[in-house]
Amino acid sequence: MAAVIFWVMAVVAVLGGIGVVASRQPIRSVLSLVVVMLALAVEFLILSAQFLFAVQIIVYAGAVMVLFLFVVALLGPMKERRQLRFQWGLALLVALVFGGFLYSMLGSVPFRAPQRTALSVFGTVQDIAYGLFTKYLYPFELTSVLLLVAAIGAIYLSRGGHGIQARREEDDRRA
Amino acid sequence: MAQIALAVLLFPAAGAAVLGLGALRLPRRAVQVIGPGVVWASFLLVAYLFWHSLSHPQPLNLTYWTWVHSGSFQVPANIYLDRLAIFMGLVITGVGGLIITYALGYMEHESDASYARFFCYMDVFILSMLTLVLSGNFVFLIVGWAGVGLSSYLLIGFWYWRWTAVIAARKAFVMNVVGDIGMILGTFIIFVSFHQVTYTGVFAALPGHDTPALEAIAFLMLVGGVAKSAQLPLHTWLPDAMEGPTPVSALIHAATMVTAGVYLVGRLHPIYDVAHYAQDTVAAVGAVTALFAATIAIVQTDIKKVLAYSTMSQIGYMFLGVGVAAYAAAFFHLMSHAFFKALLFMSGGNVIHGMKDEQDMRRYGGLLRQMPATAICFLVGSLALAGIIPFVGFWSKDMILGAAFSKPAGQFPVSMWAIGFVTAILTGFYTGRMWWISFAGKPSPDRPVERPHEAQAVMLVPVVILAVLATVGGFIQMTALHVNVTLIENFLAPTVGRISWSGGALELEVTVATLILALAAFGLGYLIYVRRSLPVWSRALPFLQRLLEHKYYFDELYDAIFVQTMNLSARGGDTLLEEPVVEGTPEGVGSAASSSAGILALAQSGYFRTYALIFLGGALVALIVLVAVRA
Amino acid sequence: MPDYGQFHVGTSTLSTTWFLGLGAILFGLGAIGVVIRRNPLVILICIELMLNAANLTLVAFSRQLLNLEGQLFALMTMTVAAAEAVVGLAILVDIFHRRDVEDVDELHELKG
Repeated sequence: MAAVIFWVMAVVAVLGGIGVVASRQPIRSVLSLVVVMLALAVEFLILSAQFLFAVQIIVYAGAVMVLFLFVVALLGPMKERRQLRFQWGLALLVALVFGGFLYSMLGSVPFRAPQRTALSVFGTVQDIAYGLFTKYLYPFELTSVLLLVAAIGAIYLSRGGHGIQARREEDDRRA
Repeated sequence: MAQIALAVLLFPAAGAAVLGLGALRLPRRAVQVIGPGVVWASFLLVAYLFWHSLSHPQPLNLTYWTWVHSGSFQVPANIYLDRLAIFMGLVITGVGGLIITYALGYMEHESDASYARFFCYMDVFILSMLTLVLSGNFVFLIVGWAGVGLSSYLLIGFWYWRWTAVIAARKAFVMNVVGDIGMILGTFIIFVSFHQVTYTGVFAALPGHDTPALEAIAFLMLVGGVAKSAQLPLHTWLPDAMEGPTPVSALIHAATMVTAGVYLVGRLHPIYDVAHYAQDTVAAVGAVTALFAATIAIVQTDIKKVLAYSTMSQIGYMFLGVGVAAYAAAFFHLMSHAFFKALLFMSGGNVIHGMKDEQDMRRYGGLLRQMPATAICFLVGSLALAGIIPFVGFWSKDMILGAAFSKPAGQFPVSMWAIGFVTAILTGFYTGRMWWISFAGKPSPDRPVERPHEAQAVMLVPVVILAVLATVGGFIQMTALHVNVTLIENFLAPTVGRISWSGGALELEVTVATLILALAAFGLGYLIYVRRSLPVWSRALPFLQRLLEHKYYFDELYDAIFVQTMNLSARGGDTLLEEPVVEGTPEGVGSAASSSAGILALAQSGYFRTYALIFLGGALVALIVLVAVRA
Repeated sequence: MPDYGQFHVGTSTLSTTWFLGLGAILFGLGAIGVVIRRNPLVILICIELMLNAANLTLVAFSRQLLNLEGQLFALMTMTVAAAEAVVGLAILVDIFHRRDVEDVDELHELKG
């Protein structure tokens, strides 16, 4: 049962990825990315990462992608310069070479035994919370600071009053 | 006694310090009292020492403290107070006092600060000169030597806003330094040979010492003496030194500093009596310089330049005197020259002052009627210089010539006499020319001042005093006419000994001949320059005139050899060393850093996709390496 | 296929390899997109795709090794990605205010 869900979601994700990369209009890229994220959320669930499944949907697909959508809507129609005809084929070739290389190299890596056996609490909110607030408290706090910095940065950047051009416009307006 | 001797030095030192530190604050009256006053105070002390030494002929070695104490090298701060030192001290403080008093009037046009600065420098000079003659060891001798060189530099360049004065001061100083090097090297050899530097120590250790070292010492010391006394070949600074104010010329470049070389040979006579080659060189240098300078003096038009060359010539006589070991004669001439040369400079200074700083004799003429006192005093000085009886110059110069003539030591002294004889006649000629052109005849049409006034009292009285001294001074040493009055010789005998040979009958006739010929040469000037009955000789020999006017091209020669070489090497150093290495190295480091940064900056193309590709490529490489290592 | 181990979900047995393969494909797609596309906004989106693929790989290994650190790291990655998207989009909006950018190569002012 789980295997079937996995394969279905896998196909959806790949199709979404192709859509991200190949869409001419940015709005379609954004929507394709949302599809990919939802598919990956389900994958997370299969991988016993319940908390991450929820966070992926709520935060990533729900907030970050909405932000992208807003920006796309704000910027309106965007033109993109045409690429070279054969660039697609070249990129695909490179990717295939890269993949094959990776595949052949990874074959020799041995596998390690799992560390725990209890599965019932693995990936639950309690489990995550326990790790986050004890062993990984420091990275947790740092991430908070990072978010704060990003927020301040975004506010400052969006004020629009900075930069030489803006000042010139202001001076022109005053004069 | 030790305190009195020290006080002789302390007075001018205190005067210099007060005037130097207070130059901007002292009122002019204070400067006028302190400046000459400290010199007169020293004179009184030296006079006392003189009177004391009449009854105590033996020298005193007065040590005050040990200046340097470094292993075996000891330099005491001592004064060697013997009759020679006292004799020199009298000349320095006495004639110096008169000149500095005269300068109170001559320098009256200076600003207050400048006035104080002048007398401060003069006191520094007196201090240094006294240090030089009173010193009891070679090191302090050099200290005084350098001190007078410094004072000379400061005073020649006194009017420092004048380019010519600055150049002249620098020239004098550089040449003096050449001499200083000779003296220092000589002192090194003395220390190495004798392991001490005091006069008493060295002279006591002289007997039996090997002569080559002593010859070397004597020659090196002579280099110093030649530089300081402006003898050939280190003479070119003296005429240029006339850029300084006239009192400076009188004191330093006539009466005292330039005689330091003579004092040096006299003080070191135990060495020179043994080092015969060096002593003969002294006489030869002196005689040749005397003749050389006299020939140049004939064509000079600047009154101070005539006196400068005549100084060079007369010091040549003194060198001739010490060179034939007639020390008393040489020092007698030193004293007599101090009298009449200072007299000439100062009365000449009266003329210059009255003619508003005009020094060209061709623009004088007829001053006898307008400045009679000065003219008479100048005449006295001129006749003394020419060696005319009864003035002091006759007695001293002919004593030297007679000693050279009669010395029983082969051909050398007589040949020196011959040079001196010819020089005496030339001296009479150029001296007469100087007086006739300036004071006799009609006033020149190019006169800057129609009716120059006679000098003020403070400038006239010292001149008259010196004129009196120049007139009667000769009668204390009348060896020249074989009269047995030898006060100077007696006085200096404990130090330099007596002249051990006496003249024959021929010497007397030679002396009389010199006198008559010099007088005739003096009178010749009247015929040529006043009456114009005889043509000026230079019209017939223009080549000779040019040679003499250019001073035998010595300045040009030295410029080519030394100055141009220095310039070339400096410029070469600039292009070869300064620019490529000293400036190039930091510049090169800087440009290397910035160019390497420029090369590295090429990686920052600003294009996103280049960056992205590099990221991905790097990530791929890292992945491969990671996996390969694991495997 | 290289054997990375298997795990059980309920009654089915899944191989970790499949998840890693999916992650690799998505990552490759994202990389291609970053290099090929010209519009800066689309490039940002492709970067997000790459980040998601990395998250998937992390979580897959976390499940295989039964080590929670993988999931925590994925959480951190998500946070950082969010922050980065915010700031990147703010800058992009700023740029687009002033000029219409057709090609990301036009934004080359920050060159050395």
